[in-house]
Order: sequence, then structure tokens, then C-alpha cells
Amino acid sequence: MNNSSELRRSLISPTRRELIAGAVALGAAGLGAPRSALAQKQVPIQPGEFAPIPIAIPPFVPGGAGDGDVANGIAQVINNNLKRSGLFAPVDPAAFPERISNFDAPPQLASWRPLNLQGIVTGRATRQPDGRLKAEFRLWDPVSGQQRTGQQYVTAPEYWRRIAHIISDQIYTAMLGEKGYFDSRVVFVDESGPSERRVKRLALMDQDGANVRYLTRGADLVLTPRFSPSSQEITYMEFGQGDPRVYLFNIETGQREIVGNFPGMSFSPRFSPDGQRIILSLQQGGNSNLFVMDLRSRSTTRLTDTPAIDTSPCYSPDGSQICFESDRGGKPQIYVMSANGGNAQRISFGEGSYSTPVWSPRGDYIAFTKQGGGQFAIGIMKTDGSGERILTAGFHNEGPTFSPNGRVLMFFRDPGGTAGPSLYSIDVSGRFEQKVPTPGYASDPAWSPLLS
Amino acid sequence: MTSEDLMHFVRTRKGTFFSVALHVAVVCWGLFSFSARSMVAPVEDLVPVDVISEDNISKAKAGALLGKKDAQKLLADKIGEKKPTEDIVGKVDTKQVTETDAAPEPKPKPEKPVEKKPDPPKPVEKQPDTPKPLAEKKPDPPKPAPAEKPKPEEKKPDAFNPDQIASVLNKDKPKQPPKPQQTAAATPEPPKHKSERKYDAERISNLLNQKDPTRQAVTGPELNANASLGTKGGAAAENSASWIALFQQQVNRCWKPPYTSVDANPVVAFNVRLRRDGSLEGPPVPVGAANTPFLQSYRDSAQRAIIACAPYNLPAQYYDDWSFFQPVFNEDSRRT
Repeated sequence: MNNSSELRRSLISPTRRELIAGAVALGAAGLGAPRSALAQKQVPIQPGEFAPIPIAIPPFVPGGAGDGDVANGIAQVINNNLKRSGLFAPVDPAAFPERISNFDAPPQLASWRPLNLQGIVTGRATRQPDGRLKAEFRLWDPVSGQQRTGQQYVTAPEYWRRIAHIISDQIYTAMLGEKGYFDSRVVFVDESGPSERRVKRLALMDQDGANVRYLTRGADLVLTPRFSPSSQEITYMEFGQGDPRVYLFNIETGQREIVGNFPGMSFSPRFSPDGQRIILSLQQGGNSNLFVMDLRSRSTTRLTDTPAIDTSPCYSPDGSQICFESDRGGKPQIYVMSANGGNAQRISFGEGSYSTPVWSPRGDYIAFTKQGGGQFAIGIMKTDGSGERILTAGFHNEGPTFSPNGRVLMFFRDPGGTAGPSLYSIDVSGRFEQKVPTPGYASDPAWSPLLS
Repeated sequence: MTSEDLMHFVRTRKGTFFSVALHVAVVCWGLFSFSARSMVAPVEDLVPVDVISEDNISKAKAGALLGKKDAQKLLADKIGEKKPTEDIVGKVDTKQVTETDAAPEPKPKPEKPVEKKPDPPKPVEKQPDTPKPLAEKKPDPPKPAPAEKPKPEEKKPDAFNPDQIASVLNKDKPKQPPKPQQTAAATPEPPKHKSERKYDAERISNLLNQKDPTRQAVTGPELNANASLGTKGGAAAENSASWIALFQQQVNRCWKPPYTSVDANPVVAFNVRLRRDGSLEGPPVPVGAANTPFLQSYRDSAQRAIIACAPYNLPAQYYDDWSFFQPVFNEDSRRT
């Protein structure tokens, strides 16, 4: 029986048996071979949920007896800047394992290790014999103990905040590999008084809301201030005795002048990237068209000639293109055309209407206000109109402006009713939205380029 | 039960009927309203499937019924060398040289093996039963033993029963041409010692225990002393997902990458060498260049993470895999 079945088996299935044996052998060989060949295995590592970078900025070391306040203040401003960026998580000073007393020596790495930091900043502020302030800082790599970057600045003591902003930018760049935006200012329309008799003044402040200065007295209504790339001038629209006009205002001297001498209303001005031209809208009958004026020759050029409302023009950072808002297709939409005029290409195709386009200083996005469904949303899209993303929506968000590095947008939100508008900032991911502190109601923010 | 009966039932026993109807209604309502959340199927790995017979499976897995479920490798016995047999002879020889007591008898025997030398080829031709020739040869030197010995050998063939493992054995044998060669190699040895060979009664038990070395199980590239049920995919030893996941998890704890601009797609790789204790053999060596400041800081953050999170706790049995590997840090779908 045994034998016969054995025999039968061997007669019937030798090939199958061999097949299996072969397969097993092959498998063994196959498993063995690549193992040694792939000695250097690639292991993909992907980050988990986004988390802000943990960093420690202890109070700066005071260089002298009277330097304590400034030393603490600088560290506070840096902490605040980095925290407000949403990209950093400054560690609570209560968790610091040591008090930095020697700015030149690296911190005790072992004691800081439990905090799992990505950077430690030490600094010193010293009032020099000549009365000027010297501020120094070092950014340490908490893993290797190496200094990653370090600088010293000397300035008049009253500019200590500016130094703190510059140091913030240095840390931002060292940690993220991108330019910062902290050493910049924002011009906006400060609003005060009851809603029916609101006083609107041009105001200037640091990007973090400090150092507010009022540029106009509030006798006339002002709108849409825009910074010149030179940082010394602002262009804006003002309702004077006659038609609203576009003005040029010098921050340093306080002088102002009317841009061009146009019949009718001119509005929504903006500088070209080189600061040499101003592009604006000019009302002509029921329509408005785009014009550009050369500030040196004072010559004006017409860019569009359509029976529609073309407005809110904005240059691309290289100055070669213009994006603007037009209702030539029915509803207001965003169009892009050459800086010399010509054919315009519509880039916004979503539901609702689009307005106030503004080109990112990085050149990658165009931000806009989108109206539809009873909401005013702030969004961005790529410059060809693709990849539209709404960053924040709700009632009456309007007027986005890009930070100098193109990573953050500032806009204003008007809840309506008796309350007035406030400034908000949001990063281009839409993740970190926060209110920008202003003395009163504020609208129409415009970010300056980096001061340095 | 006809419909009239049903109606009658309903009419006469209203209470019961409504009770049943209500219960059914409640149960049905519960079935549909409580199952609002659909079942979430767990993500599963792809498993390649071959259709083979049950018989084939047991052959391929070559597992033992009572084996350990978790065994990493298949049971695979070493195909013994014939040392024991030869050694006994050899040892006896060397010892005999000094003792020279009962030498005379063994001498004649050696001649027989010599005569049998020619034989091995025959068994080779008979091939399927390779072990037999071997067995027959060894028993020869000790005369008394041989009679008994062949029997155990013959018993082996008996092991060829329909039982699966046995069939596996059977299958294995034809597969192993080397055996005849071994026998051939072995045979020459006895002649060397033939003059010195001596019969030692004390060794009888050893001789009795001589068996043909055979391999007990088919599969398994490596030797493994533990019986197993067989590994499911047969690739358990190659399954390196576990240490990869462990490393990813551990290094991610320290990695705080800089927030990227929306469209950036950074990729940075390092060559990493680890010691057995999971510590870094040296600093991670970046692969390729970081062309932009952003890529630079991205790479710095990854490098910091690798260093900061060492030593790594990884399964020791895969040390070959993780002693030298290349972690590749990149953004997948995190940023939208």
C-alpha cells in the first residue's frame, strides 16, 4: 500500500514536486541575495504633524549695571516675534535649566537636552561709553554645541527694538533657510470715532504693532495706502475737497503731493517694484482703466481701454506683469497681463467674485479677496490661477498684503455693526491666524519691504 | 399555515401578535439606526497568493504539527557529515597503535571495504536510495554489528509513508546528488586506515547508533534547531518592516523640520552607520549637496534629529540591515 501509493505519487507528480522544490529553493536564493546586495537600505522618514520649532531665548546678559531692562526687552521682542510667526515655539523661561551669565560660552548642553530644543540663543546688551548700545547674540546648536550664527550691532539706545527685530530675522533665516520679515513696518488706516463720523488717519507701525506713528491728521478720508519699495514713500488715495486723488507721501519729510493731474477720480495706486512708477485706476465715465505714471518724467501711459471697470492693479515682483481686477467678463475677476498692456488673461474661475489681487514678493502666489455666499474670504492662488486656497473666510475679510518674505499675509476684518475693523495676520498655509495689536480700529494694511 | 390561519391567529391573539411585531420593529430599527457608523476596515498588507494543493503547502512549509508558531525560520536539519562513523574508526586506529591488543581480527575487514569501493558507483546509479549504500559500507568494518546495522537502515525506507513529512523527506533525497559524492569521498578514508583498523567491542553502541546523515526537512536556507509550524509567507526572516518602523518612530521624535514653503519638496539623505547597541558609529554623512539655504536648514534639522535621538533601540536580529542604511527625509503629504 505504502509502496504503491508512493509509486503512484512519484509517477503522477514528479514535475509538480520538483516545481515546488525548485520554487522553495528559488525563494531561498531570492531572499538571500538582495539582502546582501541592499546593504544600504533606504529608509523613508516623513515628518508627522506640523510642530513649531522649539527654541530657547533666555534674557540677554546685561553688559553693565543699567542695561538690565534693554537686555530683557530685546529677548522679549525676539520671543514674541518668533512665537507670532507660528513657526517657532519659544520655551517658557520657567523651564530653563540654567541662567545664562556668560554670553560667550556655550550653554550647558546636557542640562538643556531634555527640552529637545533646535536652537538656543544667548546675547548681551551693553551701553558703551559713547552712549550707544551694543547688542550681541549667538545662536547655538543644542546637539553639537556649535555656534550656528552670531552678530553684534551698535546703535542709538532708542532703536533697541529694531535690533531685536534684526536678530529675530537672523534666527529665522538660520533656522528656516529663508529671509525673515520682522524688521519691517506696516502702514494702515487708523479709524476712530463713531461709525457714522469715523476719523481715518494714516498710521505707521512696526510689524509687531509697536511704535505707532500717525502720518495724517484725519481731516480727510484716506484709503489704500501702499508702501514704496524704497520704504521712504507711501502712496494712497485721499478724498479731499474735489474728487478722490492719489497722493504720494514722504515718511521722512512729511511732504505730500498729488500723483498726476487726471480729470476725474484716480484710485487704487501701487508702486512698481523699482519704485519709479505708480500704477493706478482712473475713472472715465462709468468705466475705469489702468494707467501707469513715471515718477521722474511724470508721463502717463494708458494700459487698458475697455468698457469695464479695471482696478486694483499690482506688479509682479520682477515688474514684467500686472495682475488686476476687472468685471469685463461680468463679475469682477482677476486678470494678468504684460506690464506694457496688451491682452489680459483671466486667471480666477471659481464661484463668486475676486478682488484686490496682490502679487507675492516671492512671485509664487497672488493673494485676493473672494466674495461669494455671503462671505468675504482671503485666499491665494498660483500666478496661473491654479491651486487656489482659501486661508480664512467669514464676514468681511478684505485687503490682503504680503510680508516682505511672502510667507505671511496681513488683512483687515470688519465684523460690521458698531464695531470697527481690526488687522489680522495669517501665514500662507492658513494655519496661524492672529490679531495684530493696534491702538484702535484699523483697516487697509500695507506691508513695507525689509528695512535693512 | 395558510393566510387564513394567520389572520385567525392575529385576530385571536392580538397581544402576542403585536408583541412580536413590535419586537421585530424595534430590533430592525436598532439594526439600522445604531449602525450609522460604518465599519472601518484595517489597512492590510498585500499578500501574494498562489493556488496550490494542501499537500503542496505542507511540503513547502515543512512545519511540524507541534512546532512553535512564532519560529523565525523553518525547521531545517543539517545534513550530517559522516564524521561519527569515520571518527570512530580513526580513533580506534590511533588508540590501537598504542595498545596493540586485539589487533589481528580487524585487519582482514578493511579489505572488504576496499573491495566495496567499486560498489559505491552502483548505489549512485540506484540513486534514489543514496543513503543505503552509505549505511551498508560503514557497518562492514565491524562484523558483529553489521548484521544489526543494516536493519535500522532498512527501517529508514519504511519511514516513507504517506505522511507528509515523510514525503518531504522523500522528495529531498532525490534532490541531493551531493550525497553520493560524499559517500565517494568518504569511502577512500577507510582504506587509509585499513591496516591500523581494529575492532573495539566498547564501540559497538556507537556503531549501532550510526545512521545515515539525512536532512529532515526540505525548506529553509538556514539551519534551525526548533521545529516550527512553518512561516506563513516564508519570508519572515526577511521581514524588515519592523525595524524600519521603529527607526522612523524614534527619529521622528527628535525631528522638527523647518516649515516649508508650500511648494517646496525637499529630500535629504544620510548614510548612517550604527553599532550593535544602536549608537551612531560616526556622524551621519549627508548624501548629495544642499543647494539652497532652505535645503541646508532642512538638512541640518534632519542631521540634528539623527544625532539627538541616538542610541536607537532596534531589534538585534536585523542588525545586518540596520548597521548601515540610508534614511531619506522628505515631505510627503504633510504640507498642503
